[in-house]
Amino acid sequence: MFMPDLAHTSSQKKAPFIALAKPFSPEDEVALREVLKRCSPSTFEAAVQFRKTGNPEHLPAVVIGVVERYVEPELRVKLKDAADDLRMIEDLGIDSLTMMEIVILVEDVLQMTINNEELRNLRTVGDVKAFIDCKVRGLPLPKPTKFLPIEHIASVMPIQPPFLFINEASVSSLGASGKYKISGQEFFLQGHFKDNPVMPASIMLEALGQLAVLYLLEGLVPEPGKVVASTMIFFTGCEGVRAHRICKPGDILSLSIKPKRLKMPLATFEGAIRVGQEKAVIAEEITLTFGFVDAAVEPTTEKASEGTPSELSSDTPPLHAAVVSS
Amino acid sequence: MPRVFITGLGFITSIGNDSTTVEQSLRHLSHGFELYPAFNRPEIPCKVVGTVKGFFTDAVDQEDWRYPDTYSFKRELMRTMAPHGLYAHCALLQAIKDARLQEADVSNPATGLYTSSGGSPYLTNYHHNRVETLGVMRCSPFGIVSSIVGTLNFNLVAAFKIHGSSCGFSSACASSAHALGFAFDEITLGRQKRMFVVGAEDGNKDAILPFAGMRTLSLQTDPQLASRPFDKGRDGFVGTGGATVLVLESEDEVMKRGVTPYCEVVGWGQASDGYNVAISHPEGAGLQVAMKHALASAQVTPQHIDYINAHATSTLIGDISEVKAIKAVFPDSVKKPWVSSTKALTGHGLSLAGAMESGFSALALKHGFMPGSAHITEVDPACVGIALLRKTETIAPSYIMKNASGFGGANVSIVFKKV
Repeated sequence: MFMPDLAHTSSQKKAPFIALAKPFSPEDEVALREVLKRCSPSTFEAAVQFRKTGNPEHLPAVVIGVVERYVEPELRVKLKDAADDLRMIEDLGIDSLTMMEIVILVEDVLQMTINNEELRNLRTVGDVKAFIDCKVRGLPLPKPTKFLPIEHIASVMPIQPPFLFINEASVSSLGASGKYKISGQEFFLQGHFKDNPVMPASIMLEALGQLAVLYLLEGLVPEPGKVVASTMIFFTGCEGVRAHRICKPGDILSLSIKPKRLKMPLATFEGAIRVGQEKAVIAEEITLTFGFVDAAVEPTTEKASEGTPSELSSDTPPLHAAVVSS
Repeated sequence: MPRVFITGLGFITSIGNDSTTVEQSLRHLSHGFELYPAFNRPEIPCKVVGTVKGFFTDAVDQEDWRYPDTYSFKRELMRTMAPHGLYAHCALLQAIKDARLQEADVSNPATGLYTSSGGSPYLTNYHHNRVETLGVMRCSPFGIVSSIVGTLNFNLVAAFKIHGSSCGFSSACASSAHALGFAFDEITLGRQKRMFVVGAEDGNKDAILPFAGMRTLSLQTDPQLASRPFDKGRDGFVGTGGATVLVLESEDEVMKRGVTPYCEVVGWGQASDGYNVAISHPEGAGLQVAMKHALASAQVTPQHIDYINAHATSTLIGDISEVKAIKAVFPDSVKKPWVSSTKALTGHGLSLAGAMESGFSALALKHGFMPGSAHITEVDPACVGIALLRKTETIAPSYIMKNASGFGGANVSIVFKKV
C-alpha cells in the first residue's frame, strides 16, 4: 500500500542530515553571522554547530533564537521557559506575516525549503520545533496542534457521557491538553460525599487517562496505512499519582498529558491537572495498551499532504510517533 | 461651497526637519545641499544632493535605520516602510501635532489621506535581486508593500487608522500638487471634512541617479552652483528627498476646533501639454491653461497674485517654458507677481515637490515673507519680463500661486490666500 521512496532513503543514509549536503565554508559562516546578527550569540553558535555537524540536537536553540528575535522585547521573557505550548499568535504576538519572516530566516539558516501549506498549522512553539526537527531528520511531519470541540471528542472517543470528562481539547504530536468543568450534575457527586460534592480523585485520574486515549486517536502519527483502533485501548497501570487539591463543582480542571514512551502495544504518559495556577493532581506515569488496524481507505491523500516521504527501513522504530525529546 | 484651510504642516526636508527650521532656511536662503557620499565614485557624473539630515536609511534592513530621538518606531511598523515612508510618517506626526488634532480627529470616516511618491527604486532593486539570486520564496513578504508606488498610502492609512478617502497620485513631479488639488475638491464637494496631503521621496542614489541618464541632473560639484533656476549657467536639477504633510480642513472644522490656519486654499487648476513624454511644451502651453484655470477656480484675477512659487527646477528647457507661461498669463499690462524657485535651496523633490513647496507657500503667507530665488549670478536673458525675486522679501503676500509640472506635460497650479 505504501511504498517508501528507496532512492530517497538510500541517499539519506549517505548524507543523513540535509545541512551536510555541502560543507560549511568560512564564507557560509560570514553569511550566517550576517543573517543572524539580531539573534543572540548562542543562537548563532547553535546554528554554526548544526551547519557543521548536521546534528539536530542544536535545532531547538536555533528555532527558539530565531523566534525570540521577532518577538517584542517585553514578551521575550516568556520564551525563557521555552514552554512548548506557548502559542505563536496569542502568547507571542506573532502574526502571519511575522511567521513568514521567521520561516525565511530559518530557511536561510538551516538551508531548507518550507512550503506555505506546511506552515498553516504551526500554532505553538512546540509545533514549530517539532516541525523543523522532522523536516531535518526527513521524518514524516508531525500532526499540528488540533483544537477539538466536544462534538469531535464525543465522535471519536470510545468513552461516552455520562462518563466522558473532557469538554474541549487540543492535541498535537507532542501531547494533549484539555478542560473539564465540574458542573455539579455528575451523578456520582450525589454520593461523593454526603452533602459535600467533591470530585473523586479516581475520576480525575480517569479524566487524564481519557485525554491520553484522545492523544492516541488524534495525535499519534501511526504506521503508514494504519490507524489506532478505538476499541483496543485499555488502561494497564499508573505510578506516582498524588492529589494536591480538593476539586468541587464550578472548578475548571486544566488537564495535560505528554507521551513519555511509545512502544507497541504500550503507551506511557505523564499527566497533570491544574485548577487555575494550583496543582490538583500529578501522575508520573499512566500506561495504556493500544493496537493498530488497517486504515479504511484514502491513506494516499493523507500521505500526499504530509509532503515528506516516510521511511520504513528496519532501523526505524515501528512507531513514527515523532516524539521530540526536549 | 465649503472653504478649505491649511491648519497643519510637517516637514522632513533637505532644509529642515520642522517648520521653524524650514522657515529660517527660506528666509536666509540657506540651502540643503551636500556632496552625496553614494555619488562619490568616478563613474557617477553628478555629485550634489539635497540630503535629509538626522536620518540614516541607506540600508535594506529597516532595523538598521536611524532617526532623530524625537521619534520612536517599532519593528512591526518599520518593516513595511520605504525610506520615504519613514520620512512621511515623521512629517505626518508633526502635522497632526501642529494642527492640534486628537486621535479621533485623525481616524474617522470624514478624514482622508492622499499621497504621492515615486515608490522606492532602492528597495525594489534589492527585492528583485533576491528573486534572481535566491529565488522567489526567499523574498521578504514585505517586498511589495515597502517598495511599489503606493507604499505611502498602504503604510500611513494602516498606521494612522485612516477611515476616509485614500489613494495615491502618480503624475511624476506634479503628483503631490495633484494630490493637494483633489484633496481640496474632496472637501469642497462635502465628501470629507479633513484631508492629509502627503508628498515624499527616498531621494537616495537609486531614486535620483536614473535622471542622470536623461541628462537632466546638474553636474556641478559646488553646492552653491548646482541648483540655480533662472540662472544663465544652470545645467540641470539637483535631486532631493524627504516628506511634507499638509492638513486641509473645511471652514466648519476650523471654526469648531478654534485653530488658526496658515492660509486658505482658494482654488486650483490643471491642464496637459499633450506634447512630449519628457519635455515641457516650449511655450508652457499646458501650464498657461492650468494657471488660468486656477485663477478662475479661485475667483481672482492675475492682479491679485503677489508671488508665484515656480516649478522651475534649474533645467535648461523647463525653466524657460514656465517663464513663457507666466508671461502669457501675467502680461506687461498688469502688476507683475514676484517669481522665485525654492528648488534653488532644496533641490527637486520630484513627487514631493508640489506638497513641499505648497508648505513653503503656507509658511510665507502665515509669517509674511516671500522667499527669494537663490544662487542666481546672471539671470538668463530669456527671463526678461517676469519679476524675479532674488532676495527674500519681508513683504506679506496676500495671494500665492504654486506651479507644478510633471512628465507627459502634466501641469498643476494652486492658489493660496492669506487669512
